[in-house]
Amino acid sequence: MNKQLLGVIDATTVHDDLQELSIHRSVAAIPFGGRYRLIDFILSNMVNSGIQSVAIFPKFQYRSLMDHLGSGRNWDLNRKRDGLFFFPAPNLDKHYTGIGTLDHFADNLDFFERSTQDYAVISNSYTVFNMNFQPLLDWHIKSGCDITEVQKEGKSLGIYLVKKTLLMDLVLTRNETGYSNMRDVVTDLDSQFHLCYYNFEGYASMVNTIENYFKTSMDLLKPEVWKELFPKERPILTKVKDEPPTRYDVDASVRNSMVANGGMIEGTVENSIIARGVKIGKGTVIRNCIIMQKTQIKENCLLDSVIVDKDARIEAGTVITAPAESPAVIRKGTVQGVGSSS
Amino acid sequence: MLLAGGKGSRLHSLTKNLAKPAVPFGGKYRIIDFPLSNCTNSGIHTVGVLTQYQPLLLNSYIGIGSAWDLDRKDGGVTVLPPYAESSEVKWYSGTASAIFQNLNYLDQYDPEYVLILSGDHIYKMNYELMLNYHIEKGADATISVIEVPWEETNRFGIMNTDSDLRITEFEEKPDVAKNNLASMGIYIFKWSVLREYLIRDDQNTESSHDFGKDIIPLLIQENMKLFAYPFKGYWKDVGTVQSLWEANMDLLDKDCELNLFDHSWRIYSVNPNQPPQYICPDGGVSESLVNEGCKIEGEVSRTVVFQGVTVKKGAVVKETVIMPDAIIGHNCVIEKAIISPGVYVPDGTIIRPGESANDITLVSEETIGELQSN
Repeated sequence: MNKQLLGVIDATTVHDDLQELSIHRSVAAIPFGGRYRLIDFILSNMVNSGIQSVAIFPKFQYRSLMDHLGSGRNWDLNRKRDGLFFFPAPNLDKHYTGIGTLDHFADNLDFFERSTQDYAVISNSYTVFNMNFQPLLDWHIKSGCDITEVQKEGKSLGIYLVKKTLLMDLVLTRNETGYSNMRDVVTDLDSQFHLCYYNFEGYASMVNTIENYFKTSMDLLKPEVWKELFPKERPILTKVKDEPPTRYDVDASVRNSMVANGGMIEGTVENSIIARGVKIGKGTVIRNCIIMQKTQIKENCLLDSVIVDKDARIEAGTVITAPAESPAVIRKGTVQGVGSSS
Repeated sequence: MLLAGGKGSRLHSLTKNLAKPAVPFGGKYRIIDFPLSNCTNSGIHTVGVLTQYQPLLLNSYIGIGSAWDLDRKDGGVTVLPPYAESSEVKWYSGTASAIFQNLNYLDQYDPEYVLILSGDHIYKMNYELMLNYHIEKGADATISVIEVPWEETNRFGIMNTDSDLRITEFEEKPDVAKNNLASMGIYIFKWSVLREYLIRDDQNTESSHDFGKDIIPLLIQENMKLFAYPFKGYWKDVGTVQSLWEANMDLLDKDCELNLFDHSWRIYSVNPNQPPQYICPDGGVSESLVNEGCKIEGEVSRTVVFQGVTVKKGAVVKETVIMPDAIIGHNCVIEKAIISPGVYVPDGTIIRPGESANDITLVSEETIGELQSN
C-alpha cells in the first residue's frame, strides 16, 4: 500500500487566544466534539490516507497529548516498523515561529534520514477536517511541484507536501536561506522552488481562538458538516474509553445535540456538545454549551453559551449565561455556584 | 476456562450465524464481555475460551484479548476450538469433554485451581472472593449458587446442602425442589481432582460428558468435598428472546443491581470508535440507553440503542432493543421488539406486542417481509 508518505505533525503551536483551554495542555490536546482531541483529525486523516509512519513534534505541556496517543494503538500505529514517533523539543528556550519549524526538525534529522518514504506531509495539529492526502500527493507529483501548500479558499491551512530529500535540504541550509519554517518557504516571492497551492474543497476549520473553537464545535450540529467529518469509510479515531452507553432519564429532553458515551442525562439539553461521562441533573437546562469530559452539573442549573472544561462541578441552582458571540469558559476541575469558593 | 461453544437455539435467528456468547447485549456489549471482564477485574489473566458453534465472529471479536487487557506475555486469552487428532476429529460433545480435550492446555500451566465459566450469563462477580471461599473450605469443588424463586426451581440445577453449605445432593430441574439454591454454572475445582475425574469420565462410555449431569453427581457420590458458594446480586440467563429482552430492560431501571457505570468494575468490550450520538432537532430520547454513532430523528423511550443505529423522523420506538447498525424507517411504530443487527425496518412498519402483552417480536432479515405496514 501507500508507503510513499511520511506524516509530520507540528504540535508546538501556542495560541494565546485559546489560553483558557490550554493552560494544562497543548493546543493539539484540546478536547473537541465530545470525545476527540484536536490532533485526532490530522492523525486519523494521515492513517486513513495510508500513512504508516507519523512523527509528532510537541513542545509545551505535552503530558496529556502523550497520554492520549499512547503507543498509537487506537490509530493502528503500534507497528514494529514505522508507526508513531514522538520528538519533544530538546530546548524550551528556542523560539518556534510557525508550522514546520526547521530548527526542531534539525534536532531529529536522523529520523528523516532513516525513513524510507519519499514524501512528507507536514501539518499543524489543530485543523478540524477530513481529508485524503492521496489525491494531494498524486496532484503534487503530476504537477511537478517542489512544495505544495494546502489552502482553503485562498487561505493557508498550514499543511505542506514536500519531497523528503528537499525537506532535509531545507533543514540543512536554513542558516543560509533564512527560512525558519515551512511558511517562510512557501511565502518567499523570490523562491527558486516550484511552489504550488492545492485547494481543499471540504469542510476545514483551524481552531485558534475561543470564539472559533465554539463556532467549529457548533458546526458539528449541522448534518452536512457532521456527514463530511465523520464518514463511515474514513473514521476519525480517538482513544477509546470503555464507557457504557449514555443513560437518558425519564425526564430527559435532548434536542439538536451531540452526546458521547457514559453520560447520565436527567435534564434538558439543546444545541450542545456533551462529552464522555458527563452528568446533567434534573431540572437543569443546558443551551448552546460545550460540556467536557466527566463534568457534573447538578440540579436546576441554567447554562447558556458556556464552555465547561473537564472535571468541573456546577453546584445546584447555578446560572451562567454569556452572549453567544463570546462564550464563557469554566476552567478544568473548578467548582462553580452556591457553596463554591471561587 | 470459559465455555463459549453454545448454540443458544432458543434465541432463534439471533444465533443463526452467531454463537450465543457473541449475542449483543446492553447497547454496547456482547454476552461474553461479562465473564471476560469479570476475569480481568478478578485478577485472572489466563483464560481459555472454548468455542465450537459458529465461531467466526466470536473468534475475531476476542482477537488477542486486548479489549479486556488479556493480551499478555504470560497467559492471556487463548481460543480453544475442537481439533483433529491422528485418528479422528473430536467435537466437544459435552461441557466436561470440552475441558478434557484441552488437558494439554491446562497441563501447560499446571494450575492449582481451575475456574469453569459459561458464556451465557449476565452478571458481575469477583471470582477471587469465590476462590478464597474455596480455599477456606478446603473444598475439592465449589459451585456458585443463587437463590431463585421457588416456583422457578424446576428450570434450574438445584443444590441441596447441609447447614455448612456442603453439597449433599444435586437435582437437575426437579419437579418438587427441596431447596432454592440454583447452580450458576460457575465452578472452581482443585485441578488435580478435576483432572482425575475428567480422565475417568472420558473412559466411561455411559457418560454424557457434562459437568452438571456426570462430573458433579459422581463427585458427590464419592463423598468428595463440594461446597455451595452463595452469590448475591444480579444474575440472568439470557437464553431466550424473552429473557434477553427483559435483561436489557432491567438496565433502564435506575436502581438496577447491574451497574454499568461503576468504574471500579468496568465491563470492557471492543469499542466501535464511532462519533458521539446525534439527537436531531425533532428527536427525543427518554429512559433509554444510547451508544455511539447513533442518529436519532424520531422518538425513543424505554429502549436500548446499540452503536450505529438510525431512527428516522416520525418513528416512535418503545420498550425495544435495537441492535447495531439497524435502521428504523420513517413513521414506524415499534413496541416490545428486538431488532436484529443491521436490519432495515421499512418506513411505516408497525410492530406491536401480540395477544399476550409479554410477546416480544424478534425482527430479523428473514421476518421483516412478514411485518405489517401502513
